[in-house]
Amino acid sequence: MLAAALVGVLAFGGEQFAMSDADRAMYAEMLENNPADMDVESGSELLDEYADGDEGLAKFLGVSEDALPAYIAGFPRYIEKLGMVVGLGQTLQALMADNGHKPLALKSEDMFSMLAYTKSIANGENINIDVKANKQMKEAYALGDEVFNTERGGRGLSCMSCHSPDVIGTILRTQPLPDLGSKENKTAATWPAYRMTKSSMRTLQRRFQGCMNNALLAVIPLGSKEMVALEVYVTEKAKGREIAIPGLKR
Amino acid sequence: MRKSLFMMITVGVTLASAADLRSAIEVPDASAIIAKDLLGPAKKFTMPKGCISDDKEAIARGSFIFHNLNGKKAKENPPKGLSRKGADGKEKQYGNCVACHNIEGAKGGGNVGPDLTNYNEFFMKTGVRDNKFVYQKIADPRIDNPDTHMTVNLTTGLFTEREICDITSYIVSIKK
Ligand code: HEC
Ligand code: HEC
Repeated sequence: MLAAALVGVLAFGGEQFAMSDADRAMYAEMLENNPADMDVESGSELLDEYADGDEGLAKFLGVSEDALPAYIAGFPRYIEKLGMVVGLGQTLQALMADNGHKPLALKSEDMFSMLAYTKSIANGENINIDVKANKQMKEAYALGDEVFNTERGGRGLSCMSCHSPDVIGTILRTQPLPDLGSKENKTAATWPAYRMTKSSMRTLQRRFQGCMNNALLAVIPLGSKEMVALEVYVTEKAKGREIAIPGLKR
Repeated sequence: MRKSLFMMITVGVTLASAADLRSAIEVPDASAIIAKDLLGPAKKFTMPKGCISDDKEAIARGSFIFHNLNGKKAKENPPKGLSRKGADGKEKQYGNCVACHNIEGAKGGGNVGPDLTNYNEFFMKTGVRDNKFVYQKIADPRIDNPDTHMTVNLTTGLFTEREICDITSYIVSIKK
């Protein structure tokens, strides 16, 4: 089913599109064997070492292990213990500290692996973020909306310049502008993902930084209030989509 | 091996307090970064004297800016009067207009914006557009279209007036 969707996305001919036949063949092969599966596996081991695995995580979050997948499908969330809306990475940092460890940096490779594993616990669940759950989530969503629409940087662009409904599907330098909420992309449900063009696994917040960098917007740091808010905003667009981690991207 | 490393960085096995937990997570500030990076209001510009020219070198610079992203990515060396680095020593940003526009000789031209092929024939000769319009469009497209998806090139300080003139000269020129 996933393969069929991807064939749809990749079935462009001609040199206008960046994916060559060789790229497509590699893509097909990686679909069978996503290199980021290894990152997810190592993330699982790290979570065992740092925090007693799924069990320790569930305990920390105050949910049963059975309820854990659906709970994770609702991130970013307001976590009462922390008094703020956080992404999975920050939650893992708190978990590590709670277990007496020095938290890994949000941008470290091991953190990306742990984050990917943690989100993969929710594989098969649908994204169930609730942006109206409480005052904090409402604020985070509103801030995310604002950041998404803020024109800035050397070229005066906002995320909306390239991801608004009226330009989706048009071609920006060989790349179709993706609909971040569509059934085909289900963006927030497919990150962390392996990026073929970067030969590494990236998180959703890291992907945002990629767009900022390309479009000449000053890059904002992982974990900042604005970054988490952007994640809330973009995740809401993919609400109801089935989580499948790790994703595979161009 | 990994385990022993963990032991070294372990700071204790007691449960951390809520305040400790909060201070253990990264929440860096981004608001200052964004505030410094904001786009100013839409601005109307007057085309400087002698702006549009059919000088080959000016058109070559305009073309180079149109077709390239930045000094690092450009495959060919920039033409006379343009360099790979800006006055600040950092890599120079070019227009990357081709990302959104097709035009004569475009490689991988996009279609977010209109096709600018045969611009002179279709838009200039017919009187639909004039130099002033094109100059303002590139300098700050919001004057013509407040909801534009196009980049802002002069209000942002990305280019100089001279460079906007070069790009305009290129677009309105007759291409072979
Ligand atoms: C100049 C155009 C442009 C701007 C501005 C831009 N993007 Fe993108 N974005 C793209 C393109 C093109 C792609 C697809 C690239 C590819 O397939 O390699 C993309 C992809 C993405 C993806 C991955 C989509 C998926 O389904 O995997 C996310 C997430 C994203 N952008 C978020 C953002 C955010 C958040 C901002 C603002 C901070 C932003 N973008 C600004 C052009 C842009
Ligand atoms: C991110 C996409 C994007 C980029 C990059 C971009 N443009 Fe545009 N451009 C557009 C869109 C969309 C329009 C049509 C909407 C409008 O007129 O504002 C447009 C319109 C234009 C027009 C007006 C055409 C006409 O006669 O109606 C000109 C001229 C133009 N662009 C030149 C440029 C130049 C030169 C550059 C680079 C310095 C550039 N563009 C970069 C998207 C872009």
